[in-house]
Amino acid sequence: MYALVDAVSFYASAEKVFDPSIRNKPVVVLTNNDGCICAVCPIARRLGIPKFTPYFQVKSLLQKHGVVVRSSNYELYADLSERMMNVIARYCDNQYVYSIDESFLHFKNYGGIIKDWHQYGYEIRRAIWKETRLPVGVGFGITSTLAKAANHAAKKLAGYNGVAIIDNAQNAKIILQKMDVNEVWGVGRKISQRLKQQNIHTAQQLSMQNPKVVRKQFSVLTERTVNELNGVSCLTWDDIKEPKQEIFSTRSFGQRILDTHSLQAALTTHGAIVAKKVRQQSSLVKKLLIFASNSPHDEYFYKQAMVYKFPMATDNSCDIAKAISTVLTDIFMVGVKFYRCGVGAIELESRRFQQADLFCPDNANPILMNCLDTINNRYGQGTLTLAAERQSNSWQMKRHFLSPQYTSNWQDIPKIRC
Amino acid sequence: MKVIINPKIFKLSFSKINLKPILYKNTVRFNVMKVIPIYIEAGISGFESPAAEYKELGLSLDQLLIRHPNATFIGQASGQSMQGVGIFDGDLLIVDRSLTARNGDVVVANYNGCFVCKLIDKKQARLLSASKEFAPVSIKPEDDFQLEGIVTRSIRLHHQAPELTACMH
Repeated sequence: MYALVDAVSFYASAEKVFDPSIRNKPVVVLTNNDGCICAVCPIARRLGIPKFTPYFQVKSLLQKHGVVVRSSNYELYADLSERMMNVIARYCDNQYVYSIDESFLHFKNYGGIIKDWHQYGYEIRRAIWKETRLPVGVGFGITSTLAKAANHAAKKLAGYNGVAIIDNAQNAKIILQKMDVNEVWGVGRKISQRLKQQNIHTAQQLSMQNPKVVRKQFSVLTERTVNELNGVSCLTWDDIKEPKQEIFSTRSFGQRILDTHSLQAALTTHGAIVAKKVRQQSSLVKKLLIFASNSPHDEYFYKQAMVYKFPMATDNSCDIAKAISTVLTDIFMVGVKFYRCGVGAIELESRRFQQADLFCPDNANPILMNCLDTINNRYGQGTLTLAAERQSNSWQMKRHFLSPQYTSNWQDIPKIRC
Repeated sequence: MKVIINPKIFKLSFSKINLKPILYKNTVRFNVMKVIPIYIEAGISGFESPAAEYKELGLSLDQLLIRHPNATFIGQASGQSMQGVGIFDGDLLIVDRSLTARNGDVVVANYNGCFVCKLIDKKQARLLSASKEFAPVSIKPEDDFQLEGIVTRSIRLHHQAPELTACMH
């Protein structure tokens, strides 16, 4: 048996944990730079607040309903996610954290130990609510795709109240026929469009297809989805995550950039983030992609990207900053109102198998980098930075509606009235 | 020089010895060639610190004060009403959400959209202060009320902590 546990509109629910004054109010959370709505709490959903719409378009609607608006507070979400995952882990010895707010559980040889899955699902829900104040949905299924479908039913279909189970053909049929085919895990927008052209509209209809035919028309992945919907388990998750092959840090600016110093500050900050992630997975950067552009909606679209190849792969933030300052003059152009920029490590090597170069000294400075990372981990990101990052902060992300970092900053811990 | 034969491995290797005769280069031999791992220690070394094996015994306040880390949060008391149980303005409160409140416990609750720290009177559904100057508060059905957790510890900082200075004001 598989289970999928995930939080109900996680970002919005997380905002309510340490702010009891908004528990019963409609809450929405905005993306980076307060651009779009990315989470809508159930109360706001009932008011018809749409998800993924630009904030400025619905500003007056939000005001009319007295909706509480928040910027994304990643520090808070990361901490609450970890707590939630730890509580979930108590209920199964085989957990796979799928995303910040979703976790799969795989119950192997639990037959006979857990008699009532419904009851077990409610126990998980109750424990997470009690200990973290996050509402979750729990779906059980004999495959991971069916667990995902059951989770969908638990949260979205009437009469399930947060827990749903698919463990036989009957309850699979009841749930799958109410599910749009595009809501099936692994079926993307394009595939669902093509399926609908063939008159396959619900998950139930998809499960009736011949897997071999599906494989020919679509792909082996869609064939697996059909098998999974019929209770044949084909998906496995890797026990060990492969190190990432590419690491990017990119963002649009809070306000347009017109001068070279601000662009350098922004690029160097992205470079430092990339370098830190590279060090975390014990990799080295061989090739670095550095780019900046204005908005595609501007009159003349300008985008310049440069690839910098290091003579010797590195994880030193200073080397990366130097590479950025080398290509900066080629990227910057006077008169362009830069809207976004980014840095990506596009070719990585493993530190363990580093090839030394006779004529090129190794610039690695693990003691300095370790010191940098330790200080920033202890006192907060951005405590110690390269000087080039501090030339300007006009490009910084807009987070006008940011809530306090209740669990990660001493000055922000909740106040309790006595 | 010290030679140590690990008796466990020694015994194990013998028990596995296969005494079946085999023909090898026209002679009958017994296949008894088994490698027995022997650990050899040699060299000069100083005296190991007699304290080395006690090094792990460092004390962690987190371990002592927080039983259920996933269900615990830290807040800061603000106000005078709990001085009778030793909670003063500015004290840190460690709040455990996983415990169930017993009558008379020091709790943190959401009372009409605000975190409050009070003694819970479960029988009469009241929030009691630990000070004569504050009257009990009855929880009415129209109130927005949720128990948030139990205050398991409170900490007084006799010297100001620089990390907290901004919230002391």
